[in-house]
Formats: sequence, structure tokens, C-alpha cells
Amino acid sequence: MITLQLLVNGLALGAAYALVALGFVLVLNATAAVNFAQGDLVMAGGLLGVALAPHLPGYLPLPGLLLLPVVLVLMAGLGLLLAAAAYLPLRRRPPVAVFISTIAAGIILQNGASVLFGPEPRAAPPLLGGGTLDLGGLVVAEQSLAIIAVAALLIAGQQWLFGRTQLGRRLRATAQDPEMARACGVPVTAMILITFALGTAFAGAAGLLLANRYFVTPTAGGDLILKAYIAVTIGGWGSVPGAVAGALLIALFEVGVSSVLSYPVALGLLYATLLVILVARPQGLFGEAARRRA
Amino acid sequence: MMLAVLVAYALLYASPYGLRVLTVAGVYALAAIGFQIVFGLGGALSLAHGAFFGIGAYATGILGSQWGWGFAATFPVSLLVPLLLALLVGLPVLRLESHYFALATLGIAQVVHLLAVNSPDLTGGANGLPGVPGIVLFGWAVPRGLPLAAVVWGFVALGGLLAWRLARGRWGRALTLVRDDPLAAGTLGLDVGGLRLAAFALSAVYAGAAGALAVHTQRVVSPEVLEFPVMVSVLTIAVVGGRGRVAGAILGAVLLLHLPEWFRFLERSYLIVYGVALLATIVLAPHGLTGLLDRLFPARPAPMPRPEAPPEKAIPNGPLLRVEGLIKGFGGVRAVDGVSLTLEAGTITGLIGPNGSGKTTLVNLISGLETPDGGRVLMGNADLAGQRPDRIARAGIARTFQAVSLPEGASVLAAVAAARLERDGSIALAEAHALWALERLGAADLAAKPCAGLPAALRRRVELARALARQPAVLLLDEPAAGLTDGEKAELAGHLRAIAATGTALLVVEHDMGFLLPLAGHVLCLDQGRPLYAGPPEGVRSDPAVVAAYLGEGA
Repeated sequence: MITLQLLVNGLALGAAYALVALGFVLVLNATAAVNFAQGDLVMAGGLLGVALAPHLPGYLPLPGLLLLPVVLVLMAGLGLLLAAAAYLPLRRRPPVAVFISTIAAGIILQNGASVLFGPEPRAAPPLLGGGTLDLGGLVVAEQSLAIIAVAALLIAGQQWLFGRTQLGRRLRATAQDPEMARACGVPVTAMILITFALGTAFAGAAGLLLANRYFVTPTAGGDLILKAYIAVTIGGWGSVPGAVAGALLIALFEVGVSSVLSYPVALGLLYATLLVILVARPQGLFGEAARRRA
Repeated sequence: MMLAVLVAYALLYASPYGLRVLTVAGVYALAAIGFQIVFGLGGALSLAHGAFFGIGAYATGILGSQWGWGFAATFPVSLLVPLLLALLVGLPVLRLESHYFALATLGIAQVVHLLAVNSPDLTGGANGLPGVPGIVLFGWAVPRGLPLAAVVWGFVALGGLLAWRLARGRWGRALTLVRDDPLAAGTLGLDVGGLRLAAFALSAVYAGAAGALAVHTQRVVSPEVLEFPVMVSVLTIAVVGGRGRVAGAILGAVLLLHLPEWFRFLERSYLIVYGVALLATIVLAPHGLTGLLDRLFPARPAPMPRPEAPPEKAIPNGPLLRVEGLIKGFGGVRAVDGVSLTLEAGTITGLIGPNGSGKTTLVNLISGLETPDGGRVLMGNADLAGQRPDRIARAGIARTFQAVSLPEGASVLAAVAAARLERDGSIALAEAHALWALERLGAADLAAKPCAGLPAALRRRVELARALARQPAVLLLDEPAAGLTDGEKAELAGHLRAIAATGTALLVVEHDMGFLLPLAGHVLCLDQGRPLYAGPPEGVRSDPAVVAAYLGEGA
């Protein structure tokens, strides 16, 4: 039973990580640029939830969930800002330039948050309720179930957008070959902006989902970007399903090892595993889905 | 000059607090000078630099406060431990491409941080270790204030001078070429892996030294020295100051360490200023402050060296290179399938075939950019198949590329001189030899021009000069006539004949039959990786198999 509970916790964490990794990989595919600020954007989404919470009408039964659309929209706007400041001016320059500019954006976000909110951990309101459900002896936090449901909906929505819509086709064309897409009349710059907005919105949603159960601090982004990176590396650089699978895998690993040993040990082992994977199989455990352009 | 300003500042204006900031600026300048070596010159975004800094700090902190060791003993250890770690992790990690490398080094940094926080017996855990003794130099306990600042800046001057000499010398040039074009660097005889590892290891030594000095300044060591902000500060200093420049590291460190003083109203969040400075610099001034200064005060162009012929290399007569049954597959496709050929001294061999027939792959296999699955590449009795590109280049094989690659930031002379870095004792000599090679191709007037912006025909000429400067026994040319006018082609043919006349064996990949057939003494035609025709050029046009392959009729 304890194993099952750990599994649910791991799935909830993994669902949130999946959103982070998904946003990261979408931007990577569309621009061949590594968005190093992705972890700090998660933190920003969480703190946005903290900031918006006092403005919730108190009598509504689903308080946290009401914040989700607001966070998504605001974070998409932040994503546009990020693209305009840290990506578009550098698109003709080597990839390392964007890498550094997004590090800079991350520093600004992190320390801006530290000024506004202070360094102590904070919790956003729960999405559904703060209670637990007893499912025949299996005690699960409502928040865990809400995280899994919301993340699954967002991921499904992303799949639908990319797979079934005209916009999705254009986004995919841009990711596969921007030159070719431009030649076919796709407004590539607009597509890249949309991708940044989407990736940032996903990071923000993940932040809101995590900020109730795991709390949020201004410096929380550092570990999260590494986890997104590890998920993407495990899943195969550039693969969208791979990123989701990789995120679930590392979350289950993290929850499992933390319960037996400790969180620092789990984190240390995760980084050590990452190094081994990078050296032994840099194309990822499941092969390389997209050709690297960087 | 900058040093004089610093000394004047320290002596005249600095308060005790100001001196402390100046001392810390020195610490960061030293760390940033090391970072310039691996990131600025070597082009590897190492995010482990902060970890090396922290490890140097902890080595001094633990040995000094717990074991009672003095500066003379702790300082060398603080250099040695990061060096050893860098050599250990560098070998596997440096093979990774840019962002993988950054990630892997960040992973290393996180592991080191976790270890420091979670081994309280050794490191004092999250609280750290107090009571680190000060610096004792030759029996003199250096007091805080001006003396400490002077000692720290003495180390900066020492380290800066060493790094400046290295950067301007052959080693720095070689490293820059490895950054700009690792493929070409290998084919010019440079040991790419060795250069990268040396740069990574040397940068770790600088970081360790800076970490040790930081702890002596603060007299405490805590996990803060291993946290990401240290790395961020060093990266920001290097980028804002100017990538790859020692002066950039010093200028950046002094400026950025004083920024929080000027922006004191921001209190603890001065890192926002770092972030904004970093972002603004990378977008607006990619070459940093030193780059802006260079534009304001352009350096006088260096005087041209006198051209000098490199010492003649005796090229033996007879077969120079024998390729036997070379095989290479990609996935299920055999790109090169049992190709044999012999290149005789002083001859020009043409390699033709339809697109995708394996011509470039063959050249890549011979020059070591691809590893063959089978077969031999013999020079004399030595089998070069599967060897590293730099070893093959040193054996006497030079090549040019289908897509000409020249380092955009370099002058033509510097680009050609890169071919001599591995052989000549000094840059001056390498440039004299480079000018000789340019002169031989009638391109000496290009020497002072920047590579960026050269028209295609001249780029090909420069690349040929670079290959020629290696005085190769065997020269492999991948489509040297592509994009040239008829006049330029005739001129090129003349040059190639002259090169062959000195005994060099040429293998020329070319589509332009009008150019190649009169030039070559022997022609090999490939189709789908297999030899289709080998013989005199006159027979090519009438060979039914060749005609069928080109026209796509069933052979």
C-alpha cells in the first residue's frame, strides 16, 4: 500500500516535471536554443500563484484551479517578453549566446523574486482542496490527483494542438526546418514567439501545481532546470513523448529513493546517473528523435 | 596602464571597506582569467568553474582550520585538487557537444555542492568552517587591508601575465582554432582533445587559486562558495569584460564587484544587476567592454612578416599513399564499399562520381574525420586507418573542405599560419611560412584582410594555401573548383600542377570534367561507394558503365 502511495506521489511530481520538460523541449525543437531560464520560469509560475491567491473569492469551491488560466496567460506573456529580450536579438549568433542570455534572464527572475517575496518557502493554494481521499486504504492527497489531472489535460491539449490544428502543423514545420517552413510561407518568427509563450506557460502551470505540495522559493529553479534537462536527455534529445516519459521516470526515482534514503541522496544519484548517461549514451536512452541543429 | 590606475586607486582613495572590495575583485579576476582560458579561448561553456573555485576554497579551509596547515602547504593543494578533478572528469565530459557539456559540468557542480552540504564531519555542513588562518608569505603574516589586497593582486598579475602569454602564443592560437573549427583544427595536426583537456585543467588551477584566496580573505569557508552565484559572477565578468581577454577579466571583475556598491539601494539583490549587465552585454556588445575599447582605439596593424620558405620536406618517389579495400557504412548503407587506390608522388588523381557516390566520405576516411569499418590506409608501411585526424595530418596528409571553413574572426595570415602552429616554434615563424604559402598561390596581398567577407573564390585560395603550408606529401582537395569562373579555374589548375611538380600527390574530388580531365593523370569513378572506372582520363567519357551511372540508365 505504501508502494502504491509512493507511486501516486511520484506520478503527481512526474506530471508537473513533464510540463517543465515539455516546455523546454518545444522551445529547443523550434529554435535549437537551450532555454536555461525554464527552471526559474517554473518558480515564477509558483510565486504568481502565491501572489494571486489573496485575490481569490473565498467562497468558491475550487480556488486554486481558478488561478490556472490567469497564470497560463500571464506566463505566456512573460514567455513573449523572454523571447523578445533573450532570443530574437541573438538568433543569428552561435547557440551559446542564447544559452548565456537565458542564464541572464534566469538570474533576473530569481533575484527579482527574491526582492519581491523574500527567500523563505511559500505555498500556493491547493487546486481542489487541501484534504486527502481514502480510496480503500490508499490515502491520497487531493492535490496529487489534481496535479495529475491538470497536467494530463494540458499535455493532451498540446498533443491536440500540434497534431490536429493548422497552427500545430505550422509549429511543427518550424521545429523541423525553419528555412523550409519560411519558404513555404509559414511566419516563422510568429511561430517561435508562440512556442516560447507555450513553453513558458507550461513552466508556469507546473510551478502553480507544485507550489502547494512542495513549496516554492526564489532559488528553486536551479534544480528544476537540471531535472528538465535530465528528463529530455533520458527521453532522447528533441523527443516530446520522450521528455514526458523521462520526467515521469526521474520523479518516480526521486520519490522512491527519497523514501528509502533521503532527498539529497536521491538528487545526488540523479545527477550521477545523468553524467553516466551523457558519457555513455549522449543521444539519450531511447535514441535521438530530432536531428540536432545546435 | 590599467594596473597603474588600480594601484593609484588602492593607495589614494580606498577606505578599509573599499580595499576589501578591491581584494575580492582580485579574487574574481583570477577566477575569471582561468575561465577565459576554457570558455573564452577554448569555447567550452564550463559550468563547473564555480565548483573548482569552491573545491580550492574547501581544500584551504579544511587543511587550514582543521589540520593547522600553513599557506605554503595549503595553497599548492588548493591548486592540485581541482586540477586532479578536472583531469578525471575532463576526459569523458569534454567529448560532449556544447550544451551537453554545459549540463554535465553543471551536474558535477551540483554533486560537489551536495557533498559539501551533506558531509558535516569534513566540511562543517551548511554552517561551514570558521577560523581559516591568513596568508603567511616567507614568514610574514599578511595583514588585512592594503597588504592583503596587494598580495591578491600580485597573484592576479602573475596569473594574468601567464595567461596573456599563453593566449597570444601558439597554444592560445591553437585553442582558438579548436573553438572556431574543431574539424579543421584536427586536419591541421592539432590534438583537439589534448588542447581542450589542458585548457579545462588549467582553468581549474586558476579557479582553485582564486578559491583559496577567497577563503583567506573571508577567514571562513561555507557552501556559499559552491553555489551557482559564484559561477554566475565569473561568467558575467568574462562576458561583460570581453571574451577570451585577460584584460577583459580584470576590467570585468573590478567593474562588476563595484557595481553592488553603486547600486547599494538594491541591497542583497545586486545579482539582478549582474543579470541585466549580462543580458545587455550579450545582446548589445558581444565582444564586451574590451571589444568596445578596441573599437574606440583600434590597434595598429602588426607589421607583415617576411615570407620564408619552410624547411624543405623530402618527398620520396613512387607510391605515397595506398588505400586498400576501404569500407564505411552508415546505418544499412555502404557509403564506401571496397575502394582501393594508389597515389604516386607528383601525380594528380581525379575522383569523380554522381552525388552520393561516396567521394567526400572517402576523403573523410583517409583524413581521419570518419573511422573506416574495414580496409587499410597505408603511408609507407604505417596503417593510418582509424587514426585520429591530427596523427594522420602529421603523417603528411593535408586536405581542403567542400564547404570552405575559415575562422571568421581571424586575418587571412593568421588563418593560414594555423597550419604551422603544430610544427613551428613561434607564431612569427608560422606567419612567415604562411606568407610563403600565400605568395606561392599569388595571394600574398590578402594576408592582412579578415577572413570574414572574403568572396568564395578567394576563400578557396586561402584554404588551399593553408593546406599547402603544411607541405603535405599527399593533398586531398574536395571540389576546389566549385563556384570559380573559367579564368579562376585555369589559374587554379596551374597552381595544382605546380604543387604536383614538387612531388606532392594530389587527389582531387570534382564534378567539373572540363577542369579535371585535362589536369588528372589518372581518374577513379565511384558509384554507390564502389569503383566503377579506374584508368586514364581519356577513357572516362566513353566508358559505358560511367555513362550509365551519370545518366541513370540501368547499368
